Amino acid sequence: MIYLDNAATTLQKPPEVAWAMAAAVRTMTTPGRGTYPASAHAADTAYQCRTLAARLFQVSAPERVIFTFNATHGLNIAIKTLVRPGDRVVISGYEHNAVTRPLAALGADVLAVQTPLFRPELLLRQFREAVTADTAAVICTHVSNVFGHILPVKEIAALCRERGVPFVLDASQSAGILPVSLEGLGAAFIAMPGHKGLYGPQGSGLLLCGADHPDTILEGGTGSASALPGMPEDLPDRLEAGTHAMPAIAGLLEGLRFVARTGPARILEHEAGLTAQAAELLRHLPGTTVYAAPHGMGQAGVLSFQCQDMDCETTGERLGRMGIAVRAGLHCAPLAHRTAGTFREGTVRISFSAFSREEELHHLVRSLERLRRRM
Amino acid sequence: MVYYLIVCRSLTYAQRTASVLERVGIGAHILRSPKIIAGEGCGYSVKVAERNLAGALLVLARVGLSPKRVFIAESDGSYKEVEL
Repeated sequence: MIYLDNAATTLQKPPEVAWAMAAAVRTMTTPGRGTYPASAHAADTAYQCRTLAARLFQVSAPERVIFTFNATHGLNIAIKTLVRPGDRVVISGYEHNAVTRPLAALGADVLAVQTPLFRPELLLRQFREAVTADTAAVICTHVSNVFGHILPVKEIAALCRERGVPFVLDASQSAGILPVSLEGLGAAFIAMPGHKGLYGPQGSGLLLCGADHPDTILEGGTGSASALPGMPEDLPDRLEAGTHAMPAIAGLLEGLRFVARTGPARILEHEAGLTAQAAELLRHLPGTTVYAAPHGMGQAGVLSFQCQDMDCETTGERLGRMGIAVRAGLHCAPLAHRTAGTFREGTVRISFSAFSREEELHHLVRSLERLRRRM
Repeated sequence: MVYYLIVCRSLTYAQRTASVLERVGIGAHILRSPKIIAGEGCGYSVKVAERNLAGALLVLARVGLSPKRVFIAESDGSYKEVEL
C-alpha cells in the first residue's frame, strides 16, 4: 500500500516504537503507584518522555509537559480553562473541529478570521483588527490540516502578548517538522498529538502548559496527595487522572527520539519537497485543481486537490481500491473548507511523512490518469 | 544511619529533584514518603545523606526547586521536620 494520509496518522513508524510498546506491556505498570521495579520503570520512562519533549519544544520544566490521549484532549483542557460561555474567542479560519466543537459546546462568541489561502500577511492584519483586550483567548493552528499552509503564529503570539490575551497553539500538523516553542511564543497552551509527526502511537498526545492553574476535565486518582478531596494543584498530576497509557508513552518516547535524531528541519525539507513536486505533477493532469502555495513557500507536507467531474469521496475510494491511501471530504475541518471556498465539493488530501518516497507520487499520478481514462 | 528526606510536590518533581542532584554528584534516591510525613497522603521524597543536605538545598534553590518540607530520619526510625 502507498500511504499518503500522514496528516491523520503516520502509519510507518521507526521500528523502535513498536518494540518499546511491546516491552512496556510486559514490564511496566504506571508511574506513582510504588517504588517496585515495574512502577519505577514506568515512572522513569514517563520522565524521560517529558524531559525530551520539554527540550524539543522549549518548555521550562518537565512537569509542564502533560500526557494526553491526543491533541483534541489537550485542546479541550486549554479551551475549557480559558473560555466561559459568551466569551469572545478569536480563531483562524483554518481550525479543526477539535477547536470549533468545544467552543460551540461552551457557547463561546467565536470570531473566525477568514482570509484566502497562502496569504499570511493578510491573516495577520485581520488578527490585529480582531484581537482586543476583551478577547478571552486566541486559538490558532500552526499548519492547516487540509491545505498544509503555515500560519504566522509567531507574529500572532506576539500580538497576544502585547494585548495580554492568552494564546493557544494547535500544533497537530507542525510538531516534529517546524520549530514549536512554548517559551518563545509565551503561549498559555500548546496541544499536539503523538501519532502524527512525532511518530508515536494512537492514544498518545502532549499538552504543553504555560498557564499556571489549568482546569481539570477529568478527575480521579493520581498516586499523589490522595487524602485531598480535589485534584492536586501541581502539574502534571492535576491533569493526569487515572492510569497512564504507558505503552503509548513508551512508544511516543521512541518517536520523539527519532524526531530529535533526524531533525525536524530535515523532515520538513523532505515533506515540503514532496509537496512541491506533487503539486507540479498534479497540475499537469487535465481537469485537476491543485491548492498549492506559490513557489512552494509556506506550505508543509499536506496538499489538497480536486478532480473535475469526479467527486472527491469517489476519487478517494477508487484510489483506496488501487492501494493508495488518501483522505477525502472535509477532513474534520469544515471551517477551513468554508474559508478556502471548497466546502461544497470538499477535496482529496495527500500528506507526507519522513518515510514517504518520490516514486509513490509518480504511482499516485499514474493511478489518477488511469481513473480519468476509465471515466 | 541518619539521612534527610526532601518532600516533593509530585513524583515528577521528585524525579527532577533527584536528576538535578545526581548531575552535581549528590546521591539522591526517590522513595514514597513515609505515611507519617505525607500530610496530604501518597507523596514522594528524595533521600539524601546527612552530609549532603546543605549542598543539595543550595543546588535546588539555584534551579528554582526549593523543597516543600525536609525531614530528618533519626536512627530510632522517627522523623523530625527540619526548619528551612
